[in-house]
Amino acid sequence: MALKIEDYNTNVRNTWCPGCGNFGIHMALKQALVDLKKTPSDIVLTFDIGCNGNGVDDIEGFRFKGLHGRSIPLAVGAHLANRKMTVISDIGDGGLLHEGVDHLIHAIRSNYDITLLIHNNQNFALTTGQATSTTKEEKPMYAFPDGKAEGSINIGELVLSLNPTFFARGYSGEPQQLADIIKEGIKHKGFSVIEIMQVCPTYTPESNHEWFKERIKETERKATISEAVKCVKDMDIIYTGVIYQNKNLLDYYSRLENRKGKKTELVNEVKNIDIKGILNIFE
Amino acid sequence: MKKRFAVKFTGQSGQGINTLGEILAKGIKNSGYNIFASREYPSIIKGGYAAYQIDFSDEEVLASSKYSHILASLAEEALHKYTPFVNPKGIIVHSLKDFQFSKEESKYIEENKIQVVHIDTKQIALDNKAPEIMANVVLLGYIWKLLDLDIKIIEKLLRKIFAKKNIDMDAEIRCLMAGYNIDKPKDFSIDKSQLKIKRNWNKSKVLTGNDAIGLGAISAGCRTYFGYPMTPSTTILEMLGNTYKETGMLVKQAESEITAAQLVMGSMYMGTRAFTATSGGGFDLMTETLSCAGMTETPFVVVLGQRSGSGTGVPTWTGAGDLNVALGAGHGEFPRCVIATSDVKDSYELIQKAFNIADVYQIPVIVLTEKQNAESMFNISNLSKPLKIERGLRSGKNRYEITESGISPRWIPESAKPTYLVNSDEHSEDGISTEDPQTITEMNEKRMRKLLTLRKELPEPVYYGPKDAETVFIGMGTTKNAVLDAVKETDKKIGYLHYQYIYPLKFEKILEIYEEGSRVILIENNQSGEFGNLVKRECNFEFPEKLLKFDSRPFFVEDILDFLEK
Ligand SMILES: Cc1ncc(C[n+]2csc(CCOP(=O)(O)OP(=O)(O)O)c2C)c(N)n1
Ligand SMILES: [Mg+2]
Repeated sequence: MALKIEDYNTNVRNTWCPGCGNFGIHMALKQALVDLKKTPSDIVLTFDIGCNGNGVDDIEGFRFKGLHGRSIPLAVGAHLANRKMTVISDIGDGGLLHEGVDHLIHAIRSNYDITLLIHNNQNFALTTGQATSTTKEEKPMYAFPDGKAEGSINIGELVLSLNPTFFARGYSGEPQQLADIIKEGIKHKGFSVIEIMQVCPTYTPESNHEWFKERIKETERKATISEAVKCVKDMDIIYTGVIYQNKNLLDYYSRLENRKGKKTELVNEVKNIDIKGILNIFE
Repeated sequence: MKKRFAVKFTGQSGQGINTLGEILAKGIKNSGYNIFASREYPSIIKGGYAAYQIDFSDEEVLASSKYSHILASLAEEALHKYTPFVNPKGIIVHSLKDFQFSKEESKYIEENKIQVVHIDTKQIALDNKAPEIMANVVLLGYIWKLLDLDIKIIEKLLRKIFAKKNIDMDAEIRCLMAGYNIDKPKDFSIDKSQLKIKRNWNKSKVLTGNDAIGLGAISAGCRTYFGYPMTPSTTILEMLGNTYKETGMLVKQAESEITAAQLVMGSMYMGTRAFTATSGGGFDLMTETLSCAGMTETPFVVVLGQRSGSGTGVPTWTGAGDLNVALGAGHGEFPRCVIATSDVKDSYELIQKAFNIADVYQIPVIVLTEKQNAESMFNISNLSKPLKIERGLRSGKNRYEITESGISPRWIPESAKPTYLVNSDEHSEDGISTEDPQTITEMNEKRMRKLLTLRKELPEPVYYGPKDAETVFIGMGTTKNAVLDAVKETDKKIGYLHYQYIYPLKFEKILEIYEEGSRVILIENNQSGEFGNLVKRECNFEFPEKLLKFDSRPFFVEDILDFLEK
């Protein structure tokens, strides 16, 4: 039987606000997986805590909803154990840039072969609208009527400063394009960072679909990191698409000398292992 | 003490004390004796003093004595520090020109008929066309002479251990021989005539507790290790990393303990075996994951290597003050298992057991060790056969099915297998988040039932000693080692009840022993008697007597003997 989007649907009632960008993101994700002919049991999805994480009920697959900020290392642990599974890590701008920013940095430099979907709705939504590093600076937010006193982080700039092998940007209001981007990300052998500009009608209503429509513009892959940086730094236009890709760097696992040529995955190797061969160093 | 000897080798950290200590320890072992070697060193790379003490006998040795028969020193500070801990009629050898003992030290030396020998090791090294740094090998040669052991044994070992290093081997051997050829004082001898040389000892292995944990994990089919350096657990990373070619294990240094714990949880969820090891501070960072593993019923194994103190504490010294955190770490209520290791034999076995418990019960398992076990060297003639691997995997309808044992079906996430949701939100049997009060109650009860099931299946504590012991010490971890060594030095009838499985607690044996009328003493290497408090909590038994030590030092054999004399 041919794989259909419906195979990825669940019968659990969804809890997102009407008009939430997460709908478009999940639509795109399911489409991408179907297009790649991946069945739900081929997929491991790790979810963070937040509105993004509440999507765990909405999609089929092996799913693990863990802790706030920890979606990346949880996904990495799963990936290293069995690389036959397609591992996707889902996270919000809060979990990514606040609670777990160290994981982003080290995952980029480690180039694990997983895909990261960043739901950037420019706030801590599930805790009812606090400012994050991507919230507009002058915007009044929860407990801060004059806006945040801290500066901001441009996700693309941060990622590109770390010599990534894949950075793309999509938009929740363009699920078809986003599906194509996600497909590219999953196919990429390395750490694929996909920032998704996400509409949040409840806490950042001013950045609505119209607002995004005026600014979003599709772009081509850039040949160098510096060109890519120039592109993501643009404040007037939000460029989307696969912005940067480097296929020449090996992913983490492929660099492990002692795993080269091994046919099995770590999950297949759990059996009593003879230690006689290494005992002589203790004589 | 009757049948054991101790030799202590000290110098500044950075003077190669560890390497020489290891050679000395293995050399004495290869001469046919049983050894125990412990390290003392500061938390700095150069300067300060480091010491290596090797206790040996023809019987099993598990702990250090406070006093040594030979003290050899390359550093002034160390010499002052350890002079008061030389046995009567012992010997002090040092390489320090114009060294002055203090008044009290001189008095101690005189009163105890201790001999002092100065050797200009640097000059001897230079005379033998060797660099100054090899002065320590001259001293090693002289110690070997004092021990009156076969020079070929130590030479062979030196060649083996230094083979990997890029040094002038001939110069090393010249220095060794030069030290060995110095005459020893006529009236000094280590009287080994009482000691039987056991043939099989030279074939035995010298392992640290951490080596044993690493080897146990390998045997248990653990395929990945995620670590972050922290004394006294760092050498697990070293041991597994240095053998990764042979084992094929994936060994990774994570960016933090938070990450290491998450990586373990992710890998265990996927169905391989993974673990991490840390010390108190790192363990604190892992506690969110411990709690998450409890709720999601994901197998989890962590080794908590104890050092002493809160905060950064006393990083390179020992203690056993982290039982409370092992028992209480992580928010919410969830089942866990706490196991304590004490020596290389049980470290090797218990880590394997930890994996089985984690897998079968789908709970976090915390394996306690202490610096005194983790970094000390024990010799062992044979490691036991690897434990049978038990994974408890089975398929079912719901991942979190409510069962009488509390254990639900768990199967490895794989293509073509039924998918499921693992959820750190409270959830119903199918994993979907819930806020329903009845479901919440039932799921909590289900998870906690695993503790009752596990408690029934855990082994009883191990009793050492005569049936009719007048005094029984009760404790966990390395306190056992000091007591068992002390027992050999006294005619008193002493027993030790040794807890390896700490939680869930099987307390019945304690009550039995108490009711039979023995004098019962709680012994712990911490201030508040954490194990005693657990016993009190579980069965309302209050230990009538406690022997507690919390100065960052392990229990020495003399500590036990002195206590019994009181
Ligand atoms: C350790 C921890 N701290 C705080 C929280 C509370 N919390 C839940 S969701 C959230 C913010 C989520 O923001 P983001 O990651 O941007 O996700 P969004 O809800 O916007 O999708 C916070 C702070 C938590 N669950 N765990
Ligand atoms: Mg957000």
